[in-house]
Parts: sequence; C-alpha cells; structure tokens
Amino acid sequence: MIEVRHICKTLPGGRRVLDDLSFTVRKGEFVGVLGASGAGKTLTLRCLNGLLKPDSGSILIALPGGGVEDICKVPSRKLRQIRQRIGVVFQGYHLVKRLTVLENVLVGRLGQISTFRSLIYGFKDKEAEEAVAALEKVKVAHLAGARVSSLSGGEMQRVAIARAIFQNPHLLLADEPISNLDPSNAKVIMRLIRPLCEEMPVIGVFHQPEMTAKYCTRIIAIKEGRIVYDGQPVLTQEQLIDIYGEELRQIENHNHERPVL
Amino acid sequence: MNVLSYKKNRMSTLPSKRDRASALPYKGGRYLRYLLPLGVLGVLTWLSSMVCHTNWASLAKGIHESLPYFKNLLAPDWSALSSLLKPALDSVLIALVGTFAGTLIAVFFALSAASNVAPRPVRFIVRALMGIERALPEIVILLFLVAAFGMGPFSGVLSLTIGCVGMLGKLLADAIEELDPVYIESMEAVGARKVQVLFFGVIQPIVPTIVSYGLFRFEMSIRLSIVLGAVGAGGIGMELYRAFSLYEYPRASMALLLILVLVFLSERGAAYLRKKYFT
Amino acid sequence: MNAVPGYTLPSIKYKQKATIATAVAFVFVGLCVAMGFDPALLFTEFHYVRDLAGSMTPPNFKVFWSDAGIYMAIAESLCMAFLGTLLGGLGGLALAFGSAGPTMPWKGVRMVCRGILTLLRVIPTLILILIFVVSVGIGPFSGVLTLLLATIGGFGQLFTQVIEQAEPKPLEAVYSVGASRVQVIRFGLWPQVLPSFIANMFYAYDVNLRAGIGLGIFGGGGVGFQLFMAIRLLHYKEAFALICVTVVLIVLMEKASDLLRTSLLQKNL
Repeated sequence: MIEVRHICKTLPGGRRVLDDLSFTVRKGEFVGVLGASGAGKTLTLRCLNGLLKPDSGSILIALPGGGVEDICKVPSRKLRQIRQRIGVVFQGYHLVKRLTVLENVLVGRLGQISTFRSLIYGFKDKEAEEAVAALEKVKVAHLAGARVSSLSGGEMQRVAIARAIFQNPHLLLADEPISNLDPSNAKVIMRLIRPLCEEMPVIGVFHQPEMTAKYCTRIIAIKEGRIVYDGQPVLTQEQLIDIYGEELRQIENHNHERPVL
Repeated sequence: MNVLSYKKNRMSTLPSKRDRASALPYKGGRYLRYLLPLGVLGVLTWLSSMVCHTNWASLAKGIHESLPYFKNLLAPDWSALSSLLKPALDSVLIALVGTFAGTLIAVFFALSAASNVAPRPVRFIVRALMGIERALPEIVILLFLVAAFGMGPFSGVLSLTIGCVGMLGKLLADAIEELDPVYIESMEAVGARKVQVLFFGVIQPIVPTIVSYGLFRFEMSIRLSIVLGAVGAGGIGMELYRAFSLYEYPRASMALLLILVLVFLSERGAAYLRKKYFT
Repeated sequence: MNAVPGYTLPSIKYKQKATIATAVAFVFVGLCVAMGFDPALLFTEFHYVRDLAGSMTPPNFKVFWSDAGIYMAIAESLCMAFLGTLLGGLGGLALAFGSAGPTMPWKGVRMVCRGILTLLRVIPTLILILIFVVSVGIGPFSGVLTLLLATIGGFGQLFTQVIEQAEPKPLEAVYSVGASRVQVIRFGLWPQVLPSFIANMFYAYDVNLRAGIGLGIFGGGGVGFQLFMAIRLLHYKEAFALICVTVVLIVLMEKASDLLRTSLLQKNL
C-alpha cells in the first residue's frame, strides 16, 4: 500500500508543479495517471520513488516486512533499501545497450548484493535462473543471451518489465511505458502489467486515455498539479477536454455527443 | 560535430534582408565582400613570412645541395634491421602502456570532471588540471620528466600517460555530460549504491566511446612515441635521431622504413579493431 | 536451467572473464618488464620530482624584461603555426579534391593524390624536421616547412572524407538541371563542405601551434627552442616562466580561434 498525503512542490522558478496531491493505492489496483504534458504526472511518479523530494507532505509506503516508512523523511541509506523493492519501468526503456538481456535484468538486484560482488564476481547462477524466470513471464526468455541493442522497442520494454519483476517489488511504477510503441505492442505491454497488480499496487503514467480506460482499474487525472478526477476508469469527452484542454474539442468536434470511453 | 552545429545555426536564423539580397543575383559583385577577409589573410601571411624568414629560394638551393647526402636515405642498411627491432618494439610498448594507463586514469578524471557526477569544487580543480595538461605538448612534459627521472622508457610512458589523461579526460567528461540522465536515474531507482551507479549507469553506457577514443589516441601515441624517443624516451625514434645526427644515413633509412611500417600497421590495426568492436 | 539455451551462466562467464583478465595482466606485466618500465619508480624516485620542483620555483619572470628575444620567439611560434596551417590546409584541400571520387573523374589522378596523402601521413614529423634543418638551417622556416607537410598529410585525408561523405542528392539536383561538372562542384558540393573546411582549419591551427612548440626542440625555432635551451642550460626558473607563457599562449589562442570560428560560420558564406 502506498499513501500520498498533501505533497506540494515548487520549482526554483516559482512555478507550483504539485499542489496538495493526496491519494492512496492498495494492492489489487492498477492506477492510470492521466494529464496533459507538464501537468505533473511524471513528477508525482518521481516523488513516489524518492528521485525527487516534495517541499511538503508525506509519502507513506508499507514495507513487505511490516511497518510503514515516509519516503520524504528517511535517510538516503534507508531510501536505497526501500528503492530496491520498488520496480520502475521508465519511459523509453533505459537499458544498458551494450549488455545482454540477462545482464540487464540482473542489474535490477544491484542494490541487494554487495558492491564488490557486483563489480568483480558478478551474479550467481541461481539469480540468473530467477532472471530467466522473470523473462519467461514476459515471454522473451529466448532472447536472454542477445544484446539489448539488437532488440525491437516492444522487446526492450518487456525486458524493462522483467527487470522490475526480478526486483521482487512491492510497488510498481511505470512512466509512460507504451508511449514509444505501436498499438499492438502497447496492448501486449498493458496485458503484461495488468495481472501484476494482484501482488502489488501498480501506478502508471499514460498518454493514451483509451488504453488506460481499458486496462486500468482506476484513473487519476492531474491538471496543473491538482487532482481533478479520481475514480472509475470511465471518462466522458467533456472530462477529457477538461483534462487536456480546449484544443481537443476543436479536433474531435464532430463526435462530442458520444462518450468516447 | 562542427558541421552539425553550423547547420543548426543556419536553420534557426531566418535570412536577413541583406542575405537574401546577396543570395539572389549571382553576379560578380557578390564576391566583392570576400575582398577584405582575403586582404587581411594576405597581410597576415606576408607578416608571418617576414617573421619566419621564409625563403623559398633557399629551400630549393638547400635541397639541391643536400641531395647527395639524402640520396643515402634511399638505400636502407638491411644489416641494421636486427639491431633496430628491439627499439621498434620498445616504441610500440611505450605507446601501448602509455595509452592503456592513460585511458584508465582518464576515466577517473572524466568522472570527477563531469557536471552530472562530481561536485562543483572537485570538478573545477580537475578541469583546470586537465586544461594545463592539454596546453602542454607531450614533448615539453617529457623534457621536464627527463630532467627529473633521466632518459628512458619510464619518462616516455609517463609523458604519454599525462598527455592521454589531458586529452581523453576532457573528451570523456563531455561524453558523460551528454549522457541521458535516465541511465543514472534507472540505476538509482533500483536502489544501487553510489559506486554501482557510477559503474553500471555511467561507465557501462560510455564504454564504446572509451574504446573508440582509446584507439584514436593509440594511433596518436605511436607517432608521438617516435618524436618523444628523440628527446629521451628511447625506442626507434632515438635510433633514428642518433643515426641521423651521426650521418649514418643507411641506418637512419632503415629506422625510417621500420617507422613507416609501424605507423601503417598501427593505423590498420586500430581500424580493424574499431570495425570488429562496432559491428 | 538449460531448458532455455542462448545465454551463459554467470559462473561460467566469470571463469572466462577471470582467465582472460589474468592472461592480459600477465602479458602486460611481461611487456613492462621487457621494456624496462617500472611503475614503482614513480614512488621510489619521487624525490627527484621534488628536487626539480624546488629548483623551478619561483618562476623567473625577469627574463621578459631582460631578453626581448622571447617576444620574437612567441611571434615566431604563432607565425609558424599560421603559415603551416594556411599553406598546408590549401595544399591538403587541393589534394583532397584530387583524390575524392565526386570531384575527380580520372582514377589515375585519384590514385596518385591518395598515394601522396598516405605517404605524407605516415612519414614522421621527426624525420621531416631533421631533413629541413639540414637543408635550410635551424630556424622557424624549417618548422614552417615541416608543419606544412604534416598538415597536408593529416588534414588532406580528413578533407577527402568530408568530400566523399557529402550528401549526393544536392549534387544530382544541380546535375539534373544541366550543369557542368565544375558548376556541380561549385553549387552542389562546395556549400556543403566549406563549413567543415573552415572549422578544421581552425582546429589545425591549434594542433600546429602545439606541434610547432615541440618542433622547436629539434631546431624549428619559436618558444620550443627557447624552452629547450633553458632546460639544457639548467635555467629551470626561466624554463618554468616559459612554460607558463606557453600554457597561457595556447589557451588564449584556443579561445580566440573558437570565437573566430563560431562567428565566421554563422555568416552566410
């Protein structure tokens, strides 16, 4: 479970990018965060992982061993430990292109092994087997020995998900995981992420309202740093226009009677 | 790289009225605006010629007069080959060890000079240090090292290492700064320690850059090691210089031949490795 | 777990890596021993560096008042690099046009030009300066000649590549309206390659300024020669002052050529 309480963030220029956000996500929920570019979606996600510290408010994470920690207040050493169990799928699959698929998945457990072992000795056979199992879950195990630079976009994103699964996470964050993919690959990725929410809360940032409505169990919409919608994955055209701006109306004027989702 | 930035500049600026006027008619008058820069260039050339005592007649005369001596350069003394092989190997080793050590150290310097990795005071000091290293030619560094450590391969390797650190350190630091910040963030996101972030998030993605710069520098080091040899680093450069100064032209010619082969081979070898690594 | 083939288990991979690393380390140490290079010397003999540093500081800047020859040497260094770059760059340009496919239709001429460029590239500058010092005497002129040939060799090759990598479509466009070969080169190719030529000429100047200082040691004149003499005569304090001047000179010229280059390239040429 992750609980966000009243987080605010102001950029050095004075622009308020996060304005009193609060929400709670439980196991079994796949939350899709929507919003126009610059609305603060990615910033929120980065706060949840501790990559960014909000100015005020708190983010409570339930740890697997019991107990609750506030990400905004823990010392950096503890933060590292918490992060080891937070899976993140980045926008544009940031894998190390020179390493093999298997090695990229193994990197997910870097924080959980000693520095010396990660630099000199490498990973153990047992860990490699677990990594292959994670790759099997996303159906790219046959590529384990290939170099990442030889993969297609959809395959890379699957490897990124495998890395997150391999971390054994208790929270999964996805930052626009399907933005660079074609529609059918995007569907595959969404189908892979969806069942994961049975074991952990999953929070994803998306730019595709239709996809989000179809696969997520809940939608949170952010506009100018505030939550403007939080609930069932059903949005009318008017609500979408409220989130994304008037330009949407001009483009799709001809069918604004019909609820698109 | 320069071409790209040039194109960007060209595209981002709309043509001014003057540009359009000068671009439209292709008349002779268009070339008048080159007159002033060419004039300045001409005056500078004339001044430089004065300062440098340029005397092309003396060149022709000098070449003509010394031709009988240099004719001997065309007849290499093959019996000297066996005694020159060891110095040739030394030169290659000096270049190899200097480049290898220099590249490794340069990676550390680059890490501590990159703005997205190192704190400001460290960065400032390391950048300044590398700037001085780059401004001093290797041969000047060698002069001082010879004064301190004496002649020999040790000074040669050290001066090549220092030169390599100055050059590659800056290039690699720039490469690190251009790295996508998400590489570092994705390592931080899995809870990696600082050293692990540096190794997997910074060094691993730029290994191709390190290899290609290292190979480029190796080609340079081979050439440098020959010049450095003459000042006191030993190796084939020293043999060439000594033979030339003692007017043993056949022996010098043999050394020259060996150097040509060395340089050619190093170039081919580097090209081969580059091709093999990047495909 | 070999149900899924196509990857190596970490334990096997580690053994391979360890074997290779050990072998490389052994060869490397063996080579160092064979050459007589002992890194430990850096620590055991470090007191020599301390002694040298002691005899070098403080730098003796008084030479700038007592010896006007130093200003002449600085001017010589700058002019050597300038002449070498200008003449060598133009020569390299001519040979590049002669050896690139799009500009030279005759294969024979291309081969000859390429041969000259390769030869000039592999000939070490050391032998060039030695030959020129013998034939025209010690002084900046022999430095100029050496830099000139070295620039032709080094940058002619680069210019050839620039010409050959130019976008072929604009050339075809100009050719398709019925232009002659010279016109195609002037209006299709020249605008594409000119910015790169200019940028590389400035780069060549920086390279030649440094190389010229190195050549001074073998009799090429300029600051390098002064520096060499100061060290030979064990005037370390003056040598240090000269080093300071060299660093300042090179850094300043780098900045200046950088500024000039960017302002030049922004103009509509």
